[in-house]
Amino acid sequence: MPSGRPRACVEGVKLAVAVAALLLAAGVLDAVLAQTSPFGVGRPVAAPPAPVGDGFAGWIMARQAEFYRNLSATIRAAKADGTALWSLLGLSFVYGVFHAAGPGHGKAVISSYLVANEETWHRGVVLAFASALLQALVAVMLVGVAAVLLHVTAKTMGEAVRWIEIVSYTLIAAVGARLVRTKGRGFLSALRATASPRPALAAAGDAIVPLRDHSHHNDRSHHGERYAGSIHGHDDHHDHSHGAEPADLGGPGGWQRGLAAIVAVGLRPCSGAILVLVFSLAQGLFWAGVAATFVMGLGTALTVAAIATLAVGGRALATKFAAAQSGYGELALRGVEVVAAVLVFTFGILLLMGYMASERMFVM
Amino acid sequence: MAHPHVWVTMKSEVVYAADGSVTGVRHAWTFDDMFSAFATQGLDAKKKGEFTREELAPLAEVNVTSLKEFDYFTKAQVDGKKAAFNEPVDYYLDYKDNVLTLNFTLPLKMPAKPKKLLLDIYDPTYFVDFTFADTDPVALRGAPAECKLTVARPNDATADSRQVGETFFNSLTPSSDYGARFANKISVTCP
Repeated sequence: MPSGRPRACVEGVKLAVAVAALLLAAGVLDAVLAQTSPFGVGRPVAAPPAPVGDGFAGWIMARQAEFYRNLSATIRAAKADGTALWSLLGLSFVYGVFHAAGPGHGKAVISSYLVANEETWHRGVVLAFASALLQALVAVMLVGVAAVLLHVTAKTMGEAVRWIEIVSYTLIAAVGARLVRTKGRGFLSALRATASPRPALAAAGDAIVPLRDHSHHNDRSHHGERYAGSIHGHDDHHDHSHGAEPADLGGPGGWQRGLAAIVAVGLRPCSGAILVLVFSLAQGLFWAGVAATFVMGLGTALTVAAIATLAVGGRALATKFAAAQSGYGELALRGVEVVAAVLVFTFGILLLMGYMASERMFVM
Repeated sequence: MAHPHVWVTMKSEVVYAADGSVTGVRHAWTFDDMFSAFATQGLDAKKKGEFTREELAPLAEVNVTSLKEFDYFTKAQVDGKKAAFNEPVDYYLDYKDNVLTLNFTLPLKMPAKPKKLLLDIYDPTYFVDFTFADTDPVALRGAPAECKLTVARPNDATADSRQVGETFFNSLTPSSDYGARFANKISVTCP
């Protein structure tokens, strides 16, 4: 490919690296390594792998703790005074917003997924809200069934959560592995395109069959991808037609693929929500806990959506560079996708291993 | 950026043998009401909303078993050397005013007569927030009369606690001292 603008290329690569670094940072923030519960009941959220500074992170943590601490007092107050319910909902919302800035809500997974999968911010927002809603639903259903109906102990509930986690983390790894496979091909394809330029084939525009096997072994199997059942058109970000078409390299399955990501991320209930639910149950105010959980999810979704939008925006910028000059820019873009895909996979594995490491300790 | 999901208000006793050597530490950890409600969820009780020590015995067992992995959140230094604990003894849970209190004794593997004994209680990952009780958080049980007790809360900026902090932090791995800033410190000096 002609690369007469080496400066722009360098800029493109820089940007690509910046996006990758951003994702990595989000991943570190997510501190995906799970830990066991010190008292054998209740699931802690992930622990930070390294000391976190006082600054912004410390501030967020302090706010989270403060809001969380106030939740129980507000639930107790709501028992005597109905108007305290509004405080409870408000508090739950801000707690959700702040808590999602902490670990355990799949920000990194969602962001990496969006970047790897060249999703629109629109889809990113839907993903964030859908996974947060699912997360709230799982928490409510878990406590509803386990505690209210079956009257099981906290220990049993903790075990149920652990199984849910295994499924969730395995799914994340599977979604990641699939992305790595697809994006790895895209990268290789771009590599070849860079080495030996040739005209791109027109996008065919046929709707893709969900979850069908992907066959991009050669560059001639181009087909324009339309997300089946997608809420969003897919034509706003690859108007360039050099080298490998991102549309052709997108993973298979459109909306179903998104669904897998939603389930993978949203399946694991937040331990804070479970504690709030069980506590409100003990206070005879289960429904207040349910309302709080959903409002918490709303706050969580807002934060995750914002972070996902940032990630998608970073990628869109990189895409522009790539569009301006294919060749290395395109290659860098494909590289970022591969990195993001590898990150999704790695998050899944790390989460899973965190669980594995803690499993034997759980002699309950 | 985990934030605490469990709050513990604690009272501790440093336990001495008749010959003046430290044998261990006895903790009484009172949990917050949210965690207490969660932990007692689904437990059978003769009287609704109240739990006897016997009814809570299986839960206490679960607690101390699970705490092992976290080294009971208690680090001991005997004259500057790290000291190990045996498994907890005399443990039980009490339930009062809707909160649980876990009582247990951590026996030192090797009872000692140190000039300086340091105990740090904290969760490195800060999932659990440990705070000394407002009144009489630490007591010496059976200690020689000359021994002097100092208690430092995480936010104490006294010269003494800073000094203890620095020496202690140096002995920790970088990845494990996240919660160290929240450490509660007990220091006993004997001539």
